[in-house]
Amino acid sequence: MTSAVYSPNKSSGLRDFIPHLPAGVWSLSGFSLLWFGGIVLPLLAIILVSFLQGRGLNINFDPTIKQYERFFSYGGGDMLARSVRIAGTVTIIELLLAFPFALWLAKGCKNNTVKLLTFTALTVPFFLSPAARVIVWRSVFGINGVVNQVLLGAGIVDKPVLWLIFSEFSVHFGFIGAFFPTMVWPIFLSISLIDNDYLEASGDLGASRLRTLLHIIFPLALPGIVAGFVFTFIPMLGDAVVSSYMGGNNVLMLAAQVQSLIGVSNFLVAAALAAVVLAIMLAFQVLLWFALKPVGGLAGVFASLRR
Amino acid sequence: MTIGNLSPTRFRLPFWQRLADWAPTGISIIFGYAVLFILYFPIAMLMILSFSGEPNTGIPGDWTLTWYESVIFADTAQREGEAYGSNFRVGDPLLLSIMLAFITAVACVIAVLIVGPILPRIKWRGPFLVGFLMPLMIPGIVGGVGLFMWYRLVIHVKMGIWSLVLAHFVWAFPFALLAMLVVASRFDTRLMEAAEDLGAKPWQRFWQIEIPILKPGIYAAGFFGFLLSFNELPFSIFMRSGQDTLPLYLWIQSGAHNTTVPLIFAMSTIVTVGSIGLTFLAIKLAFGGGKNDVK
Repeated sequence: MTSAVYSPNKSSGLRDFIPHLPAGVWSLSGFSLLWFGGIVLPLLAIILVSFLQGRGLNINFDPTIKQYERFFSYGGGDMLARSVRIAGTVTIIELLLAFPFALWLAKGCKNNTVKLLTFTALTVPFFLSPAARVIVWRSVFGINGVVNQVLLGAGIVDKPVLWLIFSEFSVHFGFIGAFFPTMVWPIFLSISLIDNDYLEASGDLGASRLRTLLHIIFPLALPGIVAGFVFTFIPMLGDAVVSSYMGGNNVLMLAAQVQSLIGVSNFLVAAALAAVVLAIMLAFQVLLWFALKPVGGLAGVFASLRR
Repeated sequence: MTIGNLSPTRFRLPFWQRLADWAPTGISIIFGYAVLFILYFPIAMLMILSFSGEPNTGIPGDWTLTWYESVIFADTAQREGEAYGSNFRVGDPLLLSIMLAFITAVACVIAVLIVGPILPRIKWRGPFLVGFLMPLMIPGIVGGVGLFMWYRLVIHVKMGIWSLVLAHFVWAFPFALLAMLVVASRFDTRLMEAAEDLGAKPWQRFWQIEIPILKPGIYAAGFFGFLLSFNELPFSIFMRSGQDTLPLYLWIQSGAHNTTVPLIFAMSTIVTVGSIGLTFLAIKLAFGGGKNDVK
């Protein structure tokens, strides 16, 4: 170790990027190799697998589009369209609810206790079992559930309301609570990074609030909005819990379909389905990439947090 | 405060105009908290119902601790289980989940210590970051199927504990990394250079400078790893072999037998209270002290 000797030129070349722990570059390379080889490539390999054929666990490497034909002939297209429609609708509802709320939280709310409590309320659900968050709705909305008991007792309806559970209504409802934080957080972060001076300057120059919102806040918050859209829509599309608890067998969505295909060892059709979803996901990733470009990409978002 | 706010004309606005001034804000606040209510109502209800005699009806009352007794004492669970026509045994899944969560937490801490401090400082961090955060962009169920396809179908490896660990790590690592990056991107590398100039050896710089400064990120990574693994479901569905994790077990039980629902309520309440406690501890350790340390 010659570190006691001060040399002004020591931070040059590679050392510029890795200013400490020369071992760091090796461990990073090693970890990245494992991660990309063990995780990223296998995930992308679904697309390859979906073009193969075989039965059960035996597959051979003859390229074919048979799996896609089978998938769509079994009504897979309808299921996929339904999943995308439900997830898309709820994501837009979340956006309409979350944007004003995040705006208020970032710029309007001056009470630190309220802020802290709201942050905590928005963070805790990430670490709770997804099942624990929806399981009760069955008892509340079921045929003999609380809502029906109250409605019957008050004489508003003659017989139990059936569409409260195991319907598209209940699936939408279950999603709205569960996926609110993933929409609020990115929008909140992007709005709180907007300099207050911009907003004041806009007001001083005579712009109305609406004009400031549309011409200053909205464009600057766009990366957060797109990130929120992606982080809400994507997990919702693949959600296994809400759709099965709230939708039952009446609202078949992606996750249930994948599971039933795997359950009957129809691996390759499942791969075709997964590949279609993966393609949608990659398209979104490209969208996110372009949306974050003005702020220097994903890395830029973190660089701005340094302040 | 803008100058406009100080002008006296503001106080002479007619009532409807003042209403229009704050109505949008008020409505957005009310709606925001309404959604948070929808999010927390079932969790609160779950806890209340787990102490009730007839949880299935959704109506609280007839307070009892029976369900907790059944969950906690395995032999009672067996008896209750028979009475209820099912076999509710939560011990093995619970142990497996705790073990997996612990391994995932340790793996996350090690991984973010390798990646976190260096990533903000390398030139080509964009592609790395996209690759590391990729699991956040994939629906869990598709990720699980993808890994299953590759390891089981293409390279013919049998699933086991290792595959559950892998799946949970894939799910938890991006979150742990994000938490670490928030801390690591504030890291002043001149401290390391100063230590080097003062003669500190690499391991000394690591233990005495890097670790203490990155401590909030390390705590966060560990807790994130533990909690996210403990409650993980979609990946586990495909990456298990034989054994069930706790969320998987509760999920299967609640789908299969309506009669075990009271026990699931009690078990979920225990897990939820534990998770909320750990989350608070994590937030406090990771971000509470941070502001005082870094002045």
